[in-house]
Amino acid sequence: MALELHPLEQFKVEPLIPLHIGGLDVSYTNSALFMTVAVVLITALLVLGTRRGALVPSRWQSVGEMSYEFVADMVDTNAGHGAEPYFPFVFTLFMFVLFANLLGLIPYSFTVTSQLIVTFALAAAVFIGVTIIGLVKHGAHFLRLFVPEGVPVILLLLLVPIELLSYFIRPFTLSIRLFANMLAGHTMLAIFGGFAASVGLLAIFPVALDVAIFALEVLVAALQAYVFAILTCLYLRDALHLH
Amino acid sequence: MSEDRPPDALARFAERLDKARAQSGERPAVGDGDGAGQQRALGLGFRIGIEFVVAIVVATGLGWAFDRALGTKPFATIVMFFLGVATGMYNVYRAITGQGAAIGFRRPQRDVKRKD
Repeated sequence: MALELHPLEQFKVEPLIPLHIGGLDVSYTNSALFMTVAVVLITALLVLGTRRGALVPSRWQSVGEMSYEFVADMVDTNAGHGAEPYFPFVFTLFMFVLFANLLGLIPYSFTVTSQLIVTFALAAAVFIGVTIIGLVKHGAHFLRLFVPEGVPVILLLLLVPIELLSYFIRPFTLSIRLFANMLAGHTMLAIFGGFAASVGLLAIFPVALDVAIFALEVLVAALQAYVFAILTCLYLRDALHLH
Repeated sequence: MSEDRPPDALARFAERLDKARAQSGERPAVGDGDGAGQQRALGLGFRIGIEFVVAIVVATGLGWAFDRALGTKPFATIVMFFLGVATGMYNVYRAITGQGAAIGFRRPQRDVKRKD
């Protein structure tokens, strides 16, 4: 029996509307399509949901308000005072990642966050932004971040490179964590789905497993959006407060 | 919008809400109780798993790039590999001891004094 498994096919980026401007391939791809869908859905949820602005909220208004309060609370507790101006950024980031993750769970859809370049672009934006904020707020004093206090000079020779390295791996950990979680989950779903298609009546077992994995993936989708946002807050706190 | 309503209606509503909450086990509506703590722990668990691996890979990659640029074939790779391991362990340690993702961690003031 020919076992036809293509668990990685779902991650293929395909141009939907081919576009080439000045030698650059800027085609509108399936990835771009689902980014657009995510942005449209978020905008619709927040704009339409809060249109009426009732004191006792409707369902959609309630969802919008809950997500607002959730992120506001997260920024407040994790980024500390003075982080309020950055709330819109964190909120946008959280909602985009959350919606991209959840949209990816719909069968036949495309998971934007399973593309390393997408998550890396988001993480690089956070990293560069936070570094600029730190440098603007504290000037050269920001570099004291890399020199732990109360440490013998000889140990500094080891600790400063470690601190520098842990600072510069941040965009990588941030992006690879999200990307790897989405990639692994969706590949697993596809593999067990492929098994189910090829083993006849025994398919009940892989399908049952797929249902369980799907439930886990819903959790992971929400959790990774949360982790992405909370780490952005923690990085912001470093830049704003320098301990 | 609700600005044109008399404020005492709001006040009465808050009063009723408080009373109802007190009756049903006084948990505030916004979940900063058990759920939030669990959520935070779960977030932490998912976070540190990858920290260690990425530190090593990125550091070794950087070392390899230095080697290519400076022509010091194996040495930078080797040194950066061990630096990556140290960084990974240090970061996981910091994450689980509640330092968060903080870079350049400062001791609590009391500890510094004792050391001096």
